[in-house]
Amino acid sequence: MIPPLPGDPGSTDILAIANLPILWILAVGVFAAIILQTVVYVRAARIAAPAAGISSAELKTSFRAGAVAAIGPSLAVVLVSVALLSLFGTPAVLVRVGLVGSAATETASASIAATTMGAALGDASYTQSVFAVAFMAMSLSGAMWMIATLVLTPLLRRGDSRLRSVNPALMAIIPAAALLGAFASLGIGELGKTPVHILTVLTSAAVMGTCLFLAHRFNVAWLREWGLGFSIVIGLFVAYTLHTTGLMSGA
Amino acid sequence: MSSTTVISTPSAVLATFDRTTSRWGRLTMIAALVMSLAAPLYLVLFADLGITQTQVWIAFLAVAAVFSVLWVVEPITYYPILGPAAMYQAFMIGNIANKLLPSALVAQAAIGAKAGTKRGEFSALMAICGAAMVHVFFMLVFVGLLGSWLVTIVPADVTDVARLYIFPSIIGGVIVQLVVSLKQPRVTLIAIGTAGFVFFVLVPAIPTIANLATGITVVTTAVLAWFLRSKPRSDSTKEIS
Repeated sequence: MIPPLPGDPGSTDILAIANLPILWILAVGVFAAIILQTVVYVRAARIAAPAAGISSAELKTSFRAGAVAAIGPSLAVVLVSVALLSLFGTPAVLVRVGLVGSAATETASASIAATTMGAALGDASYTQSVFAVAFMAMSLSGAMWMIATLVLTPLLRRGDSRLRSVNPALMAIIPAAALLGAFASLGIGELGKTPVHILTVLTSAAVMGTCLFLAHRFNVAWLREWGLGFSIVIGLFVAYTLHTTGLMSGA
Repeated sequence: MSSTTVISTPSAVLATFDRTTSRWGRLTMIAALVMSLAAPLYLVLFADLGITQTQVWIAFLAVAAVFSVLWVVEPITYYPILGPAAMYQAFMIGNIANKLLPSALVAQAAIGAKAGTKRGEFSALMAICGAAMVHVFFMLVFVGLLGSWLVTIVPADVTDVARLYIFPSIIGGVIVQLVVSLKQPRVTLIAIGTAGFVFFVLVPAIPTIANLATGITVVTTAVLAWFLRSKPRSDSTKEIS
């Protein structure tokens, strides 16, 4: 892209700035860092294997077992990521979902950030400016997870007694409360929009409920991994039907 | 590890392993951290979008109000399960509960290694390496290479609907998944009650706090959940007597 300033604050053409070459380069760089880390770890593990009482054949088996077990969840993550492409563009989805985030936390962060600018994800108020601020906010939030890890891991390794002795009841309740509070609030926020939004939330919830019930009842583990993928696809299908047939006025 | 080392006791070898994985784990994580921040920073600073610092900080604070507890609590929670080396992998890749931990457990079961032993730690580390490579491959190929093509072959009105309704179609499923996996009915009720109160009573009464609605809900839910928790019997008998 020759002109260095391609942005247009009021435009809703997100993909015009979301696909800039520099963003692609950075996204690929992030994945290169993950690959480099894996290579270093595998080599280090091979060297130290005898001292850890594990054979190199067992290392290989572990690697393969881990890889195979990750195929299902990875495909499910891919499905969700593709659904997010029109909202954030490919490089941002790669970095945000590919790094510490998940589709759920990242879209939650983006939605919260957009709200602070009086906008909502994906509609006419979702301009290039809103996208950039939302992208910045999600990235900062993701960065905080990594910074916390970088700071806390050495402390925990030294067996910092203050951290170890954190009240277990507190550790059980506060994270659960924070997550449930955040998503309950965001979910109820969606219910306040249009009837299409309400039915989409309810459909998605019902599909997930059905998947989890069937997974539990008939002991099908993969349904648990695919639950969110199915919820999104069927939720969007219902939204599409309601929106285009004009049975209900959408946003 | 130089081949000139004559005596290398198992503990010395393991110490070298710890040093290597810690150093490179940190370096690669910092590299990913810097690059992931550079991307949006470029848009904010150089794309001529007229974004002010204040806008960015307000957005970040609103997100922080919701997630800041988890930034700190999640690393502490997963450390005993993952160990130091795998921490740098896990918090780079994410998807810990749904992808990395199951992979590690499957691998340990496959070679009959127990969690908490060195064998278990190495097995989990290799499993997470395997999971990481599958994750990278699937993201780069199916999202990076084929994703934009997939979007172009999808009709425009479908993309429009996907953009408009992606959030509600995620949030419904996520809530149900959370409620089922956390198994904390009391906290769930507190969360829904608080969210409903904030959204239907507090925000209509004081519209200026609309931006903070989710943050207020999170903090209130956490405080209420803590004070309304079911206390262990020994506590309650003490209080009664």
